[in-house]
Amino acid sequence: MKRTLVLMVFGLLLCGVGLFAAENVVVINGYPVIWADPAVGSDWYDTEVLYNLYDPLVYPTPEGSVRPHLATSWEAVDGDLAHWRFYLRQGVKFHDGSELTAEDVAFSMTRFITMGKGNSGPLGKVTAEVVDEYTVDFFLDKPNALFPELLALFFPVNKEQVLAHIGPGSYGDMGDYGEEWLSTHDAGTGPYMMVSHTPGQRLEAVRFADYFLGWDDPFWGPDEVPIERAIFIMETDYTTLMTLLKRGDLDLELNGGWTLPQMREIQRTEGVRIEYIWGQNVTVWMNTQAPPTDDEHFRKAILYAFDYEALLAPYEPFGYTETGIVPPDMPGYVPIEPQPRKQDLDRARQELALSKYADQLGQVKVVFHYCGGLAFEEEVGLQLQADLAKLGIKVEVVGPPWPQYSAECSSPETTPNMVIFLFAPQVAPPLDYYTFDMYHPEGLGWIFSAHWYFEDQEVLRLLEETRTTVDFERRLEIYKQLQPMIADHALALFPYYKPTPFACQAYVAGPKEKIPMVGPSESLYNWRINLRLKEELRG
Amino acid sequence: MGAYIVKRLLQSILVLFGLSLLIFFIARVVPGDPARAALGNLATEEQVERLRAEMHLDKPFFVQYYYWLISVLHGDLGKSLYTQRPVTQDLVQFLPATLELMLFATLISLVVGQTMGVLSGYFRNSWFDGLFRVISYAGVATPPFVIAIFLLFIFSQLLGLAPGVGRLPITMAEPPRVTGFLLIDSLLAGRPDVTLVALKHMLLPAISLAIAHIAQEGRITRSSLIDVQQKDYILAHQVHGIRPTKVIFKYLLRPSIVPTVTVMGMDFAFLLSNAFLVEVVFMWPGFSRYAVNAMLSKDLNAIVAVVLVIGLTVALVNLLVDVTIAFLDPTVRIRRRGG
Repeated sequence: MKRTLVLMVFGLLLCGVGLFAAENVVVINGYPVIWADPAVGSDWYDTEVLYNLYDPLVYPTPEGSVRPHLATSWEAVDGDLAHWRFYLRQGVKFHDGSELTAEDVAFSMTRFITMGKGNSGPLGKVTAEVVDEYTVDFFLDKPNALFPELLALFFPVNKEQVLAHIGPGSYGDMGDYGEEWLSTHDAGTGPYMMVSHTPGQRLEAVRFADYFLGWDDPFWGPDEVPIERAIFIMETDYTTLMTLLKRGDLDLELNGGWTLPQMREIQRTEGVRIEYIWGQNVTVWMNTQAPPTDDEHFRKAILYAFDYEALLAPYEPFGYTETGIVPPDMPGYVPIEPQPRKQDLDRARQELALSKYADQLGQVKVVFHYCGGLAFEEEVGLQLQADLAKLGIKVEVVGPPWPQYSAECSSPETTPNMVIFLFAPQVAPPLDYYTFDMYHPEGLGWIFSAHWYFEDQEVLRLLEETRTTVDFERRLEIYKQLQPMIADHALALFPYYKPTPFACQAYVAGPKEKIPMVGPSESLYNWRINLRLKEELRG
Repeated sequence: MGAYIVKRLLQSILVLFGLSLLIFFIARVVPGDPARAALGNLATEEQVERLRAEMHLDKPFFVQYYYWLISVLHGDLGKSLYTQRPVTQDLVQFLPATLELMLFATLISLVVGQTMGVLSGYFRNSWFDGLFRVISYAGVATPPFVIAIFLLFIFSQLLGLAPGVGRLPITMAEPPRVTGFLLIDSLLAGRPDVTLVALKHMLLPAISLAIAHIAQEGRITRSSLIDVQQKDYILAHQVHGIRPTKVIFKYLLRPSIVPTVTVMGMDFAFLLSNAFLVEVVFMWPGFSRYAVNAMLSKDLNAIVAVVLVIGLTVALVNLLVDVTIAFLDPTVRIRRRGG
């Protein structure tokens, strides 16, 4: 009996020791849920995970354009921007070992458009046709020079595998189009393969040894080896995440919701660092259809009255900077008025004097709504409240919960005077997202255009021109021309640009490339793990 | 007793029906667009409208309720907009983790609370009694999530004595799922090492949940015990020289715990509501954490299912409490028989 007990204790101790050995595994955190079907997912964490499990036809570049990936080249057939031909890379393997062909790509596009979820909206009505085994044609409902770039968020699936897992659903012969199966399995070509997924809890993936780009890369140091196993967790409480990070139970945090004191704590903690890849444009829309922000001079007064420096000061050590229509880390960024970004109360008073509310400032009230629970958004409202009080203008700061807050922005009548959002570059191509999608009536609408101003015909014409200009450099010029023109209407207050702080352990190396878009840099193919350093730090 | 249980069960069904109607209504009048939430920010207005129609959100309230009720009667609670899979599947996934935690917390509160209450009552006005009363005031007054953050910070982050969060270390694989109760499943899989690790992980969240109940139940047991101690028959036992331990366990404890058992029924419901924040703090992959996320994302089907499960739990626990009291207190049985 005694001997059995001793053996059991010894066995348990051995198991305990096993738990703490340096493993080739990386634990990653993001949002509270992952929608892993590439035709359904569209949020940050979805896209970040999709870039690990799947591959797009084209891959975004650090310069803001795209490069060949699953597709080796593409062309507008006979110059027709509504008819695109893509030539696929040969020898690309799905995780089940079968080869990617034009059949898979055409099926995936039809599935994507028919289901009408996730990132499919910006594509419009696209039909796909197989030309030969490695060539596929796409027919658009209207010409679009940006179509190849939009495909950075289109991830082909394995047709045969999906068809084998069709469940009951509302898509006729296609049932649920494999949606239920794909939420907990993958059918991709990506660098990692899904092992298990409990939605709202965890997703586990392992390295795909036959990944078409290969795993040998002289870029990395001798101790930096590919990550073998990745566990994506879904936690939102940052006190808990801090505990995990400091204990070494969390290796990479992708949501970046740390508070200022927490970021300082991370900076002080040995063996942990903050990595910046892309950021969020903090944008306060001003509703041009609701008094008193319906007056352009009134809106300009707000821009001049705001104390940018006071708000920004504590965040500057973490890379927060001024911003504009397009975030400052994007190619083609142009600083916009007011410049320099300083409080100028005299100029604000001049603008107010020109507004139709000049003689009734005591009676007007500006309603500022932020997403309830987000302290840094409330901070912007309170700063504005203090600044406008100096001009005798009352600001009401309210933080309704997200469902109510976002629903308010469904029409000009229900949108408050000012609403604050953080726009990360989550839509491809990002420059189009920050311009056409936000300032053109055919853009994304809703929270993305809660200024409700689409009257400047020259701005609209130039925005449309960006979508018919194939040459990227020429398009950049148009974007540069557009930014001051849009800013002149004072449709938004841009308090600052917030680089997303990705907290990570020192032994997690990467990313190899910093691409200013949500997803591509977060593919673990762009990261490595230094097991020697991990052992040194964690034992 | 059988007829009584059947009557109570029928009452519970009626209560659940009313509850479903109420929560179905509340979930729909709260501002926010569930279709938009389900499709993500980038969906076009056309896509959102199509989903609204699919979810019958474009129909009058009672028509929506009719569709929902028909589905529920067929065992289908609908699809979760938050996890994108059937709500029943979510419940099967997440509920056992919470039940296991709650049962463990109840066990702790029962054992510790009763012991403290009995000792405090028996040695009333001693230093131990004074200390217990002070601690119990603090225990009742402090919200469990505050205790959770405090315990996590002290024992996990600062001292490194307790494991971090979750039911198991993040990198550790769960044993094959049979019951969903990790302590049982790990034993069934022949993995006592996993049982031990799971037990360690459960300790801090369970204590966070149990402290308020230890204090509450201990105080009630103490008062009740003091009350029973004044009875003539206890004095008679003592005069006849019956051993003090026998007096406590045989004659004092049984009548003294009747009020505690009554309170425990309600406490179990409170435990479920307290678990909402404790699960968030400890990253406990349970039903309460799922419920919080479902509510934040206005996941209509999940919200209704969550409330129904809570209602069902409260109804069943109350029934169990009534039966237990009838067992412990013969006067209740006699009254129900019409005596």
